[in-house]
Amino acid sequence: MSHPGTEGVLAPSELKRSITARQLYFYVVGDVLGSGIYVLIGLVAAAVGGAFWMAFLAGVAVATITGLAYAELVTKYPQAAGASLYVNKAFRSPVLTFFVTICMLSANMAAVGSLASGFVRYFAGVVGMSEDAVIPTLLIALAFITLITVINLIGISESVVANVVMTFIELSGLLLIMVIGVIALFTGVSEPGVLLEFSGEGSKAVAVLAGVSLAFFAMTGFENAANVAEETVDPSRAFPRALIGGMLTAGTVYVLVSIAAALAVPMDTLADNTLLEVVRADLLPISVSVMLVVFGLIAMVAISNTTLVTVVAQSRILYGMAREDVVPGVFAKVHPTRRSPYVALLFGGAIVGGLLLIGALIQLGGSDLDIVDRLATITVVFLLFIYALVIVACLKLRGTGETPDTYRANTALLYLGILGNLLVLGYTVVDDPGSLLWVAGLLAVGLVLFLVQRFNGGARDRPSTDGPTATAGTPNTDEGR
Amino acid sequence: MHVIVATDGSRASLVGAEQFQWIADSREITDVTVVAVVSPYAAVPFANELTERRNPQPTDFSFREEAEAAVGVVAAVFHGWGPTVHRQVRSGSPAAEIVKAAEEASADLIALAAGGRGLTSTILLGSTASRVQHSAPCPVLVCRPKRSASS
Repeated sequence: MSHPGTEGVLAPSELKRSITARQLYFYVVGDVLGSGIYVLIGLVAAAVGGAFWMAFLAGVAVATITGLAYAELVTKYPQAAGASLYVNKAFRSPVLTFFVTICMLSANMAAVGSLASGFVRYFAGVVGMSEDAVIPTLLIALAFITLITVINLIGISESVVANVVMTFIELSGLLLIMVIGVIALFTGVSEPGVLLEFSGEGSKAVAVLAGVSLAFFAMTGFENAANVAEETVDPSRAFPRALIGGMLTAGTVYVLVSIAAALAVPMDTLADNTLLEVVRADLLPISVSVMLVVFGLIAMVAISNTTLVTVVAQSRILYGMAREDVVPGVFAKVHPTRRSPYVALLFGGAIVGGLLLIGALIQLGGSDLDIVDRLATITVVFLLFIYALVIVACLKLRGTGETPDTYRANTALLYLGILGNLLVLGYTVVDDPGSLLWVAGLLAVGLVLFLVQRFNGGARDRPSTDGPTATAGTPNTDEGR
Repeated sequence: MHVIVATDGSRASLVGAEQFQWIADSREITDVTVVAVVSPYAAVPFANELTERRNPQPTDFSFREEAEAAVGVVAAVFHGWGPTVHRQVRSGSPAAEIVKAAEEASADLIALAAGGRGLTSTILLGSTASRVQHSAPCPVLVCRPKRSASS
């Protein structure tokens, strides 16, 4: 069925967009802030030492340059598909486009797993449970994933107001850490010299690089802004400002929080721990036990918010691919009243649960695997690859589709961005080759979906030579029932 | 008389539009505005179940265009019926935007469909329809798919 353009009397279609630059800014800040620093600060601190704020600074810089490329591409192509769309426009390779889409999906799933494990650490901190018990932490992480999936099934996290409120809660926790840092500085708890200390032996640059790949995880999420590009008022003005402004806000907060944490807590306490250690330092004139609960709750809200947005992005990718016949049409099924893609949501939840289960089994087998670290690393591997490719796409698409309104990123910075993304990607893979097995596993899931579609769908031909599924067209299973 | 016909892209909403047309008298109606609302933050901002895949490239997928296509299908119900047919795709919270559309058009009636069938729709009652009923500036006609038509 196509557009019925045959109505007797027909007024032109009207378009009304709803997201303002300010709402977009809060969307970016909220999405970026919740992800990393609450979960990863201890790991980054352990990798670098007292100077770990430099790792965050470097991560912020590379991510923000990538953000510039996104801003340019979004103002040219304000559509929902994000990275896949840009790569398709630039390279016209269906295989590469499909690969990038699967990478994005996998990155989201690994990120949700890492966030869920990070959530458990705060939960354990608040209720006073041991983080080392494998089975209980797995069960809590699975319960968290179930809860997030149910919230998305019901669809109650969709309001603009809720988004802004969540962002302020996320910010409040980090402001608290900054206040503690200022108190630590003035009461002389530790020497400011700690900020220039590196833990590892060898060159300082390598030490920072070791932290960057994890710190980078903290900046991810900004690419989700492309999801709402279609609904943004005046995107060519709103996007560059909201995206870059939001990332710089988040980046500044990160650097200040990591400086504050380094000042307030000895490095060996912070290493491999959460921000709860900073609160536990007891520098505020309020009871520690109260503050631990308050801060733990703030952290859990922050992590939940980012997880919700990530799960939304993930189910959207699956839904969109199903609508376009790239993966089986069952993923395009929506609940009749709630209008949520329940098959995509349940499938995503199952894959994330599977990742956590595998992690727990490896831990039970006697390995000292850190599941937060591992899944964050996998996310970063996928995203660094995608980001580098998006910047290349941005440069390659120069001169096409430009209007006087198009935002134009600085070319030299973009080249620096490609180099930065590839450098961190290279280091991450060399440093943690075990993560590649997980990467391959997630890619295999995508391949299976593609093959199922190809061999189940087959019969119906699509017009001419398009996407990777030109021969794999199938009527959407939702239709014609 | 100006009527707002809302669609969420479901087949129930298409059946609802047909039911409204069957009930209404076209001589009394001057304008029909078919409205769809895209919810940017929802997992699926607009789920169009009324058309098949339409894009030559998978990456051309657009929720706004999905909404426009669904509006087109529902608007086609009123083809040759008499009233001027307007199409509108809005953005935001579905219930609030349907009410706003009615207010802007000084509509005299809102016609929409209430959910699907089964236990879940009884518990999680079609919240858009009930919210619109609460705050609408005009009468609201809530259509439900007939059991025989929906199987």
